[in-house]
Amino acid sequence: MSHLVLLDNEAVQALGTPDHPKHRRVLSHLQVVAQRTRRGEAVRVEVPTTVRVEAGWDRSAPTWALANRLRIADAVLDGTHADVAAGIRDEVAVSVTDAHLGAAMRSTPRERVTVITSDPGDMRAVAGTKSVTVVTI
Amino acid sequence: MKRTDAIHRISELLDSEDVTTTNTSMRIPKALQASASLAVRELGAATSTTALTASALRLRLEAIVVQAVLDDHYDQHPEARATLAELALAAAELDGHPLAGDPERLRRAAAEIIERHPDADADDVLLWAEAQAVRFSA
Repeated sequence: MSHLVLLDNEAVQALGTPDHPKHRRVLSHLQVVAQRTRRGEAVRVEVPTTVRVEAGWDRSAPTWALANRLRIADAVLDGTHADVAAGIRDEVAVSVTDAHLGAAMRSTPRERVTVITSDPGDMRAVAGTKSVTVVTI
Repeated sequence: MKRTDAIHRISELLDSEDVTTTNTSMRIPKALQASASLAVRELGAATSTTALTASALRLRLEAIVVQAVLDDHYDQHPEARATLAELALAAAELDGHPLAGDPERLRRAAAEIIERHPDADADDVLLWAEAQAVRFSA
């Protein structure tokens, strides 16, 4: 069963800063993903590009070396995702990044979706009717 | 080549959009090749044995690269390495497993399992804790 794991702004911040109080916790989730990948499970970690902007994650910056090397893919805000995100913002009053996260949740073909976040309420709101596991950090 | 350069290069190659193929001199056991052919032909596991082999190899390489990156990070920041109990909790959380709400049970399960199986991972602990929970509720 394929599994998508999404990171929100604080999860990215925590990942990028070793002395962040939640660094170890976010890393523990990525460690489990690595173990499951080794077992042959199809698990993919993604970060919406707008979340990267908000978090200041520049892939060309050496300060983000760890995050860059962990094979976390970009969830790009293309035209289709922008339409879904705009619809989400029409439904619920959330930020552009949260709407983009919602679009990534709703548009993925993967059977399971988990989001690692410091804002579980907004994540549930943007998920709509999509079944999403919310991990609060 | 330094280890970090090798990790970086492998990652780059895995991301490459170059679809050029190559014939390799890789030798694999006949039985493995035969089982892959059967899986493709009879179970529809992939479009071809080549596709099956390439996808399995990609998955394995991605796991190797990420683990190497994590190990290097743990060497530099030992405090970033989670305990087995913390990893079990992370596994439960990722799955939305009910045991995510019972970290104490996961901690006990991790302590129990590591005595007999020092190489146990987070999912082993989760499975053990779940088995224990079922046993005690029966």
